[in-house]
Amino acid sequence: MLERIEKSSEIRHWIGDMEADHYYYSAGIAGEKFFVALRDEGKIVGAHCATCNLTYVPPRIYCERCFAELTEHKDMGKRGCVVAFTVAHYDKAGQRLDPPESFALISLGPRTTPLLHKLGEIAPEKICVGLEVEAVLKPQREGKITDILYFKPVK
Amino acid sequence: MNLKKIRKDVAVVGAGMTVFARRLQETGKEMAWEAAKMALDEAGLTLQDIDAVIMGSAPDAFDGVHKKGDWLLDGAGGTNKPYMRVFIGGGTAVFAPIAGWWHVASGMFQRVLVVCEEKMSSVQPHAQSAFGHIWDPILDRPLKPNLVWIFSMEMQRYMYKYNVRYEDIALVAVKNKRNAVGHPCAQLADPNITLEDVLNSEPMALPVRRLDISPPSDGAAAIVLVSEDVAYEHTDTPVWIDGVGWCIDTTMWTNRDLAFPKFVARAAKMAYEMAGIKDPRKEIDFAEPYDPFDYKELQHLEGLLLAEPGEAAIMTREGKTQRDGEFPVCPSGGLLGVGNPIAAALGIKIGELYWQLAGKAGPRQVKKDVRTGVAQAWGDLMQVSSVVVMRRR
Repeated sequence: MLERIEKSSEIRHWIGDMEADHYYYSAGIAGEKFFVALRDEGKIVGAHCATCNLTYVPPRIYCERCFAELTEHKDMGKRGCVVAFTVAHYDKAGQRLDPPESFALISLGPRTTPLLHKLGEIAPEKICVGLEVEAVLKPQREGKITDILYFKPVK
Repeated sequence: MNLKKIRKDVAVVGAGMTVFARRLQETGKEMAWEAAKMALDEAGLTLQDIDAVIMGSAPDAFDGVHKKGDWLLDGAGGTNKPYMRVFIGGGTAVFAPIAGWWHVASGMFQRVLVVCEEKMSSVQPHAQSAFGHIWDPILDRPLKPNLVWIFSMEMQRYMYKYNVRYEDIALVAVKNKRNAVGHPCAQLADPNITLEDVLNSEPMALPVRRLDISPPSDGAAAIVLVSEDVAYEHTDTPVWIDGVGWCIDTTMWTNRDLAFPKFVARAAKMAYEMAGIKDPRKEIDFAEPYDPFDYKELQHLEGLLLAEPGEAAIMTREGKTQRDGEFPVCPSGGLLGVGNPIAAALGIKIGELYWQLAGKAGPRQVKKDVRTGVAQAWGDLMQVSSVVVMRRR
């Protein structure tokens, strides 16, 4: 036995936390453009670095490789392909997910940073790397990443 | 300690700094990039030229992201490079450049980017709610202390022991907020502020009043450090880091000497020894001590051995510490005038030393010819100090 005292009630102790009440997380200058385009136009936009020939989705105001300022935004469309995926059977609290949930990294174009999202309308055993998928958006959108419900296979 | 066997001399060849203000929209990464890009541009370098990156940022609790150093990485330009985050609370502003210095001084790296970022507006309802968790959870926290109370006790002890008048302390706030008028990044500049304004400002936790304190802020700053081997490839006016020092006092804040900051003196002596300074009052031309509160500028000047205990208040009253005085102190406008986004005070402390010594401080340029300056920051639970001596050769 490693612990001499097994019950916390046997020792004097104090319950506390170490967080603030709450935080404001902002999307930033580039993130604002991404979420407004998603909400108002139903578009997924990225920012292109011509020097590195790399497109960031969501967009950024700078290229992290060469530090160029990125001002060119482009509509990435809604179709992409699965780069990596997982099928989760438990949530973070250890509760069983029934049915299991599928998550994937989805690339919306060549030399484009993939986006993390859910997969839907597909049986887990049918998911594979390279699978062509398409974003399904909510009809009423609020400017959040969950405005995209999931990506479904392209028929 | 062996302070002699340093392999390479280290120079600052560029600095950058964002506006200090409440910047709710920009992410910390975006602010870090803005400052880092400015520093690189001034040095005439690109990110590809940088061998390693140091990030300085105070506790994760401000931005609300754990492992904030990793999170800020891409904005700081650290992707695919040797990268480390350092933090010692408020002392980070001068400690991050010390970490950058040892990366270069060791001979391992020739060009290092140091970026400091802080976004204090994320934490709600106020940054004090994050500070509320730095205390001992059993002895201090049940009494619900906040930082202002503690500093008030320290200020009161300082005034009592060295017979310092509040009116002289308040003059520091007046000086720094006026100095900041020339600073393009300033949040708290006030060309018309008077002593009466400070004396009549709202009591926070007496003796501390509202205008004695620098409020929370958001911002970023960056500097480029290079080895002696390449310094003159980048500029004709490198500014050399000739001495560094740091020291921390006991965890139990109640057990410290609250009137005289011994840990500052120890850090200063280390930096002075490395820089070959025997008589700091004669050999140092100006100073950028850490001034989140007006009394701290005075206490820190004394800790830096630039004044006898209690004397800094008299120097202030006599005008000696004005920008055009015989010993300019906080010509930047300091934290009281420019703002206090914790680690990003790098731009006010080390940035200002660089701009002043390179003759690039514009309207803030001190009148006298300056060759040697000292910058200092203070942090953790009011117990740590970092000191840097810089010179133009």
